[in-house]
Amino acid sequence: MLTRRYFIKSSAVVMAGFGVAPSWLARAAGPGEGRGKILISIFQRGAADGLNIVVPFFEKRYYDIRPSIAVPAPGKQNGAIDLDGRFGLHPQLQPLKPFWDSGQLAIVHAAGSPEGNRSHFEAQDQMESGTPGRTMEDGWLNRALQPATPSTSPVRAVAMGAKMPRTLRGNRNAIAIGDLQQFQARDQGVASILESMYASSSDAQMSAQGKGTFDAMKMIDSINRTPYTPANGAQYVGEFGNALRGIARLIKSDAGLEVAFADIGGWDHHSNENGQLPGLLNQFGSSLAAFARDMGDRMQDIVLVTMSEFGRTAAEDGNAGTDHGHGNAMFVLGGPVNGGKVFGTWPGLEPEQLFQKRDLEVTTDFRAVLSELVRGHVGQPAESVFPGYKPGDPLGLLKA
Amino acid sequence: MKRLPRVLSVVVLLVPVLILGQTTRRFDVKLTPDKQIVHVLNRLTFGARPGDASEVRRIGVERWIDLQLHPERIPENPVLEARVEPLASLKLQTWEINEKYAPPQPISIRRPIQPASILSPLQISKLRDGGTVEERREILMSLAPDVRGELLLTLPPQAIEGLTELQDEAAKARTAQQQAQQAERRRLNPPLNELLTPDQQRQVRSGTDQEKLAIINSLDPQKRQQVLRVLGQQNLLQGLPALRREAMALARPQDLVNGELIENKLYRAIYSNHQLEEVLVDFWLNHFNVYNGKAQGRILLTSYERDAIRPYVFGRFKEMLLATARHPAMLIYLDNINSQAPRDDASLPFAPNQQPPRRPGLNENYGRELMELHTLGVDGGYTQDDVVAVARAFTGWTVAEPARYAEFNFNGNMHDRKEKIVLEHKLPPGRGEQDGIDVIDILAHHPSTAKFISKKLAQRFVADDPPQSLIDRMSATFTRTDGDLRAVLQTMFSSIEFSSEAAAQSKLKSPLEIVVSSVRALNADAVDTFALAQRIADLGQPLYGKVEPTGYPNTGESWASTAGILGRINFATDLTAGRVPGVKPDMSRFNFKLPAVVATELLGSAPSAATIESIEKGIQGKEVTPSMLATIVLSSPEFQRR
Repeated sequence: MLTRRYFIKSSAVVMAGFGVAPSWLARAAGPGEGRGKILISIFQRGAADGLNIVVPFFEKRYYDIRPSIAVPAPGKQNGAIDLDGRFGLHPQLQPLKPFWDSGQLAIVHAAGSPEGNRSHFEAQDQMESGTPGRTMEDGWLNRALQPATPSTSPVRAVAMGAKMPRTLRGNRNAIAIGDLQQFQARDQGVASILESMYASSSDAQMSAQGKGTFDAMKMIDSINRTPYTPANGAQYVGEFGNALRGIARLIKSDAGLEVAFADIGGWDHHSNENGQLPGLLNQFGSSLAAFARDMGDRMQDIVLVTMSEFGRTAAEDGNAGTDHGHGNAMFVLGGPVNGGKVFGTWPGLEPEQLFQKRDLEVTTDFRAVLSELVRGHVGQPAESVFPGYKPGDPLGLLKA
Repeated sequence: MKRLPRVLSVVVLLVPVLILGQTTRRFDVKLTPDKQIVHVLNRLTFGARPGDASEVRRIGVERWIDLQLHPERIPENPVLEARVEPLASLKLQTWEINEKYAPPQPISIRRPIQPASILSPLQISKLRDGGTVEERREILMSLAPDVRGELLLTLPPQAIEGLTELQDEAAKARTAQQQAQQAERRRLNPPLNELLTPDQQRQVRSGTDQEKLAIINSLDPQKRQQVLRVLGQQNLLQGLPALRREAMALARPQDLVNGELIENKLYRAIYSNHQLEEVLVDFWLNHFNVYNGKAQGRILLTSYERDAIRPYVFGRFKEMLLATARHPAMLIYLDNINSQAPRDDASLPFAPNQQPPRRPGLNENYGRELMELHTLGVDGGYTQDDVVAVARAFTGWTVAEPARYAEFNFNGNMHDRKEKIVLEHKLPPGRGEQDGIDVIDILAHHPSTAKFISKKLAQRFVADDPPQSLIDRMSATFTRTDGDLRAVLQTMFSSIEFSSEAAAQSKLKSPLEIVVSSVRALNADAVDTFALAQRIADLGQPLYGKVEPTGYPNTGESWASTAGILGRINFATDLTAGRVPGVKPDMSRFNFKLPAVVATELLGSAPSAATIESIEKGIQGKEVTPSMLATIVLSSPEFQRR
């Protein structure tokens, strides 16, 4: 039994080890096939400082309450990048300016959760659940998916990172990939034996999990075989850039990706904000811009939205930083976006205009933004994705 | 000879099947004696080692459980004692840890210049708040060039607005300062190529453990420290635990404290003969979760686990509850140290150039979690008013000198003296610290607590969704014995539900459990658990690293994920190939054994027909090593369950 010495390594055997190739493989082969709409959710963990990212330079009050950390007005040294005469981008976000100019980038300011929760993990959980005030077991992006069919791709819902974020937890199958290159078994021989074992196991739950894993592994293996060069000279920066690059690669391989998630941490700048925010924004802005450049024309099918659990205090604290706040800025990037505009009602920075006299107010519920994108881009109604939420008048974020 | 009991067990199984016409496993059908042995090892330990089953059979299941409930009667494993002996921080008090493991001083060249020492208040005001371009130029150019350079490093951007030549000067001064700092850093911590010859560098980077050791031991003390620091940062010392710790003590002492705590936990899980005690310490630390990444948590957890959790796992619930309520780790983690009696002042005016005043007041975090997570449970029958009242009762429960002594201190000035009503109990005014003690008493004796604690224990030890009949009986024991945890465990372990068909193999192992049970099943020798801890974190369960006070779930469901399975397969592959630094499995014991035999040894019982078939079909025509067989078994659906 243990006598023969040759070892089967052919990938063809691994791929088609069980007779007929699965239907999604056949589907992915056709040109134009697998080119559906894609919604990408980006989470800035730690409460990003929206007031220094999208700078209200027209407000004199902004400079009064942030003497050491305010971003200078456009034209001054290290000044903001003028967007519309009232708001500007932090200078490190220069790579995103072309997309503003071409109408692919929209901003919603003073957006967020109506709840005043200032606990990072609670607010993150609630925002990822899509239910301010409580945490659900599943997340809004998972609920936005249609039920799977036999031809649904095993990599249609992907979170880039080692852990499954709450945003993508739920009834629909989603996978968490730390690194596309690494998402493979160390030993293919072992993997194919295990695949058969899991498929025939009487443990129904394990069997289903196994199938999802092995299907995804085979798909990603075939994707990894094609070397990848970002198009149009796009250059991704840092770990966040790597995650977006992974998403780009999945999209371009026509693997049937429908929704994706990535996060970027390190925004909790209680002190020395000027020493930390620029570097982080460099990674953030460059990578988002690189993604859009890399995707090129395919941005027509893509909408990417950014969010953070809450903003930061309007005034700076005693350590050249800011404390936990409330209203924040969300970016919406994509071909179908009605870009070049700052959406939402600006509440002002006078003391009586601030939330609890300390933070930027929330004048647009984050669910208004997300539900509009889900409805207009993916096609799911708001009520099923955001339980208990009734959308108001549409903001007009997407082109008709 | 073995056939008769098997026939009987089949009959016992079939009777309910035939009657009900279902094939669901039941909580009132008892496991066969052989299966009980496997089950009891799965539940009361972190996984069976070779020989454990025979030991349990020899002693008898009931007597073995009883021994585990009284660990003082079991001699401890000398290998464990050898492994944890060098973990010096474990034995220290918090203040000693703060002293011995203080973080290194940051590198700075010298004190930055104080503007007040070289300029008049009027000049400073013009520079900061709106002098004209000419005025500011005049002030700055009146200074000597080197003084001006230093000053420019401290001034805000508006001071040099419109003065391009001074902006250039400021930029140059900043660059010079950065370069000076970098040079100083390099002087203190030179890179490896300045400390070692190329040959030494090669050996120390990619040589064997012996080679690395030889080179490091050959260096003079100062060079040794510098080399260790670099190697530690580059993670090249795994498998050489003593050196790894020495390097960490030099570079990041506070991380070493946390690292030793994690090592201790894993050594105990792998080697301790007091397995139930270790499982319970894990359970209760999770129940009273504290996160090692918040504030002083990293330092305080050592004392917290040793002094507020471990001594009580077989004792009275109320005492553990009080111990956690008073421990600085908990008070800081759930923000009670900032909680004060709400003031009656109206809100203060908002002055320009000042942050909005932070009005000190009540912090409800501990009050809420104490009831929601530690005692009654979210449906236990408390209201928002109760949360506020409990929070008010605990005002003043704070910590003296958190960064140094970190001792519990009751601060009367922060305490809310007014009357409170907690769950319909009236707490009279003005009794200070006694308020909190009374609340602990009320909560510990509340009927919802008995049920909540019983349910959590049943989830961990019996099934993800345990039968209400069992929870009720455990809860009755809890009430009758005033929260005697050993008695509650006895009720649970002697119950039919515990030893039932439905309970066996029903729970999915957590990352901690799959990693440790794999090491134990292989009887591998662990000389450094740092890399193992990293693998557990990669699988989603960083030890002591749960941010949320809910702790890690006791239900196996939560660990089911597609990425999880791939992670576990790759871990098993690396482990059996000896590629997890610090862990040495001896695979030779599986030489020449048939797959079915290897599987039975590792699983503790015969694998399913499907498993054996898959293995035998899959290895046809292949060269199969013991590592490969072991990997397959450790990755199988069966081994994922316990």
